[in-house]
Amino acid sequence: MNDNETLIGSIEPDIKHRLGDRAYQMAHGADTSSAVRAGLTMASVPVMLAALARDLNAQSASVTSVLNFALMLEIFESEFYKAVLGTTSSAAHKAAFAGVRGKVSGLAGATAALQQIQKHEASHIAFLEANGATNSHKLSADSFDFTGGKGSGTGPFAAAGSDLDVLLLMAQGVEDTGVRAFKGQAPNLLAAGNPVVLEAALRIHSVEARHASKIRRMRRQHGAPATVRLSGAIRGGGSAAAGASNIPSLGAAAVTALSAIYAGDDNTTQAGVNLTTLPNLPSGIDVTAAAQEAFDEPLTRAEITAIVQPFFKVPIPSA
Amino acid sequence: MAQQHQLLVIDNPEKLLHVSTRRTFLKTLAAGGTIVMLPSLFGARGAGSEVNPSAWRNGIQLDLSTDTGILNYAFALEQFEAAFYTAVVASAGFRTFTPEQQEVFADLRNHEVIHREFLRAALGKSAIPAIELNRTALATATGDIATVLRSAESLEDLGVSAFNGAGKYLTDAAHLTLAGKIVSVEARHAAAIRDMRDAMGVVTGAAAGTRFAGDDVVKPPGDAYQGLDVKLEPGAVLTRAAATGLLSTPVSIAKPPRAAKGTPDSGPPSPTP
Repeated sequence: MNDNETLIGSIEPDIKHRLGDRAYQMAHGADTSSAVRAGLTMASVPVMLAALARDLNAQSASVTSVLNFALMLEIFESEFYKAVLGTTSSAAHKAAFAGVRGKVSGLAGATAALQQIQKHEASHIAFLEANGATNSHKLSADSFDFTGGKGSGTGPFAAAGSDLDVLLLMAQGVEDTGVRAFKGQAPNLLAAGNPVVLEAALRIHSVEARHASKIRRMRRQHGAPATVRLSGAIRGGGSAAAGASNIPSLGAAAVTALSAIYAGDDNTTQAGVNLTTLPNLPSGIDVTAAAQEAFDEPLTRAEITAIVQPFFKVPIPSA
Repeated sequence: MAQQHQLLVIDNPEKLLHVSTRRTFLKTLAAGGTIVMLPSLFGARGAGSEVNPSAWRNGIQLDLSTDTGILNYAFALEQFEAAFYTAVVASAGFRTFTPEQQEVFADLRNHEVIHREFLRAALGKSAIPAIELNRTALATATGDIATVLRSAESLEDLGVSAFNGAGKYLTDAAHLTLAGKIVSVEARHAAAIRDMRDAMGVVTGAAAGTRFAGDDVVKPPGDAYQGLDVKLEPGAVLTRAAATGLLSTPVSIAKPPRAAKGTPDSGPPSPTP
């Protein structure tokens, strides 16, 4: 078959391939714009192709939006760990965490663990920027209030600068939030018809889960309750899932923040299946706890934005 | 509907162990049909041999061009993991494990069994049959804590690799979300096992405290995929699974996934150190 003789052949090869994939996605329920649907309902092939070609550009914008959102979160994480480790460009942040920094280095392997985590967050920033994300809000170390105080510096997690248990609790919340954020965005990347970016997002998501697991283990080894599992999984939901009973001085505002971070994590029904009544489960176990632990839960962009906004001195866009 | 003479041929003893075959057997009898049991059914397979339900002629064949097939692929891996951890917890050595090891392996067993039973329930009639493990190999793999930990690390990193490689082939957002909910738990497991081996000093090379997400699984700075976790295409996953020697049911790909392969494969170290 000679492509040059067909209408399809007159379109450049790359677009052809993407059009086919995109058509497949739409046939399987992916989001489309009204312009595309209008174009498709007309009998005219050239109008349909033009509508699809415009849709591809809109699709790229939607992927870019997800990548930019991810980038914001990664910058937040990276700058947080740099503040803790003392490698931040911000003298204020470096000073704020000076007290806890010594306590981290007093815990065997803890500094190395946080350095490895920070290295990954920096890598995520580099990867995302190399793949289309832009730091359009020019976020830097100075963009953040790590106390969670909306710029006041007196937020619920202020003690993280001096108290190791609060610092580790905050790191746990940061990592678990990252896992939930990426998980929530995966369907958007699927709908956008970009398997390469979707795969990359899944590969970043699992790294955040490794981080989260390590922090939980560190906390448990430093006195957190047994509900904070050595397997790294999350037991329960809401503030209980944070496992913060080893920090009796934790204020109400911090508990509220934790409730949002872990909202819904106690879910034990998946795809309409009640996990606690499944057959062939081991006997003599806490089935509800195991069911909660076995599945992590996503959060939407809006939910994530609400959780992290108090740590940003600038307003985070919703889209 | 026209009456058809029912003929049921049983050429393989394992088929008698399957509920669907037994139902058909009874229905055929009731309808006055013919049941043929081939001579091979009664042939001796060697002294002391046991009927192995895994000896399907071609093993389990996955059609990865559909979401159902991909979920069955996940179900196969979860069956593998659940069977391994069930054996670990049931092993004579378990009571000699440290409290940490006991907690972790009990949790992992609980989670993988729940994953397995959830997928079985979700797949319903489309679920592949049971995957059997090689009992001799399993006894060796669960014989001492060092081997248990190494095998566990291998399985968990393989599970993460598999989900990260296959997720992009799903077409239904609900399926992708379910897979995502499971893979992050597998990654938590992988990090926990790696961290335990790190603390025991069983693997040299990485800075202490970093193995949970070491440079051998998360690409280091400067790499084109820096910061990204392991990922393997289904064929590579199944090859590694078979290479463990723990599976006695062959699992293969009848139809490949339909879409682009994404990025180059990047698996955990093999063999597992």
